[in-house]
Amino acid sequence: MILGLRAGSFVAFLLLWEWAARVPISFNFPTPWATFTALIDLIQSGAILGATLTSLQSLLLGFGSAVIAGVPLGLVMGVVRPIGRVGRVYLDLLIALPTAALIPLVILSFGINIISSAVIVFVFGAPFVTLNAYGGVRDVRPRLLEMARSFDVSWRQLFVHVVLPGAMPMVLAGIRYGLSRAFVGLIVAELLLSPFGLGRLIMMSRSMFEHDRMFAVVVWTLLLASTALAALARMEVRLLRWRA
Amino acid sequence: MAGVITPAQPVSIVVNGVSKAFGPVQALVDIHLTVRAGEFLSLIGPSGCGKTTLLKTIAGLVPADAGRIMVGDRNVTGPGRECSVVFQDFALLPWTTVQKNVEFGLLPRGVPAAERAELARRFIGKVGLGGFEEAYPAQLSGGMQQRVGLARALAVSPQVLLMDEPFASIDEQTRRLFQDDLLSLWSEERKTVVLVTHSMEEAIYLSDRVVVLSPRPGRMHQIIDIPLPRPREAGDVRATAQFAQLVDGLWKILKVLQ
Repeated sequence: MILGLRAGSFVAFLLLWEWAARVPISFNFPTPWATFTALIDLIQSGAILGATLTSLQSLLLGFGSAVIAGVPLGLVMGVVRPIGRVGRVYLDLLIALPTAALIPLVILSFGINIISSAVIVFVFGAPFVTLNAYGGVRDVRPRLLEMARSFDVSWRQLFVHVVLPGAMPMVLAGIRYGLSRAFVGLIVAELLLSPFGLGRLIMMSRSMFEHDRMFAVVVWTLLLASTALAALARMEVRLLRWRA
Repeated sequence: MAGVITPAQPVSIVVNGVSKAFGPVQALVDIHLTVRAGEFLSLIGPSGCGKTTLLKTIAGLVPADAGRIMVGDRNVTGPGRECSVVFQDFALLPWTTVQKNVEFGLLPRGVPAAERAELARRFIGKVGLGGFEEAYPAQLSGGMQQRVGLARALAVSPQVLLMDEPFASIDEQTRRLFQDDLLSLWSEERKTVVLVTHSMEEAIYLSDRVVVLSPRPGRMHQIIDIPLPRPREAGDVRATAQFAQLVDGLWKILKVLQ
């Protein structure tokens, strides 16, 4: 049933796309088929794989640091109230900030290189990872804390056996959401930084009016992101089996 | 068995002039109460009479504004190791197994892992959940979850068992069986028990004495002796005229307080 609906909606989407390309909305708008063949072409030539590897490097670097820094920071903010109250203000600002506007500043500070795009990926993803870890700690049932207190557990035991597992669902959801933001940050960074990865491939194809290729790269990026997100979602289900 | 966990003699609880307010709401006023060592005592009263607050004050989870509580010879200033609490909503860790939940209370007592596992298994068996060690709380019924809560409380060999409406979220048939099991466990491992309940039958069936609290602010209203013979879990105590009279007497007291 769900599978049927999914397949149906996908076909409907392709038909709509085909129709939009034939009207045409713009002469530069490629059909699904043209996009698909362009993608195959890009894969065969190896161009897209090289670009993907470059992009994944900045993604891993940037998002990896976002998780490594953001999760502990969020947990500390949740446990130590004053730090949470202060930190929360900056996180809210970071989330409201039009992050793309920071890119010139980042380039000026770090130069045009992989570090720059990693920094941008970090800035896109980290606030959500942190904020969710913080919320996760705040979300731990007060009754469980009371129960733990009644058994006179130590600080470390309280954290390891109650706070951390209690915060885990939100921590993982934050990592997943942060990753989707990180993908957006990655492409934005590469579009503006130009000489790297998938973003550069998009820019190059556009400047040569190869719109089918440009679309193919966009579709490829979407595939990458959704595969990574689905993998994370599966990991979440496995880690949180107790919720069933 | 290491010296950390030894079966201990029950101790008395002395509540001396305890008052507690939450902001503008006066929850308890000048409570004086002595729970004898090894006694089964129930606290009953209309909702909002502060009976749970009194229990938590004894547990050291809620600090009193005035007055003093002695558990054995310890002046209560915070949670202590001679008390275990059983919570109305079970308060189990949902992410881990029955076995680990029962072991939880033993963690801060420095019991070695093997002994911890052994003790937990023993008490899981005692509450009638043998075979469910590896189940998760969500896979158990409410009654079974509360049995886990009881096993966790008993595993640390407390001298005092504090129960906050433990049967409130459990259906009637399960509740009666559970009450009988509680009584026979209690006769095996004599402990001082304080039970908060809003069920008159439950208070009378289980207790040696029932304390009636008056509502808002909570004050001591009356203490009723329950002279029903023990063991009660084997016979038909609920069907006796004496039981009916006690319930009726309690109802007459509570009716005025509503």
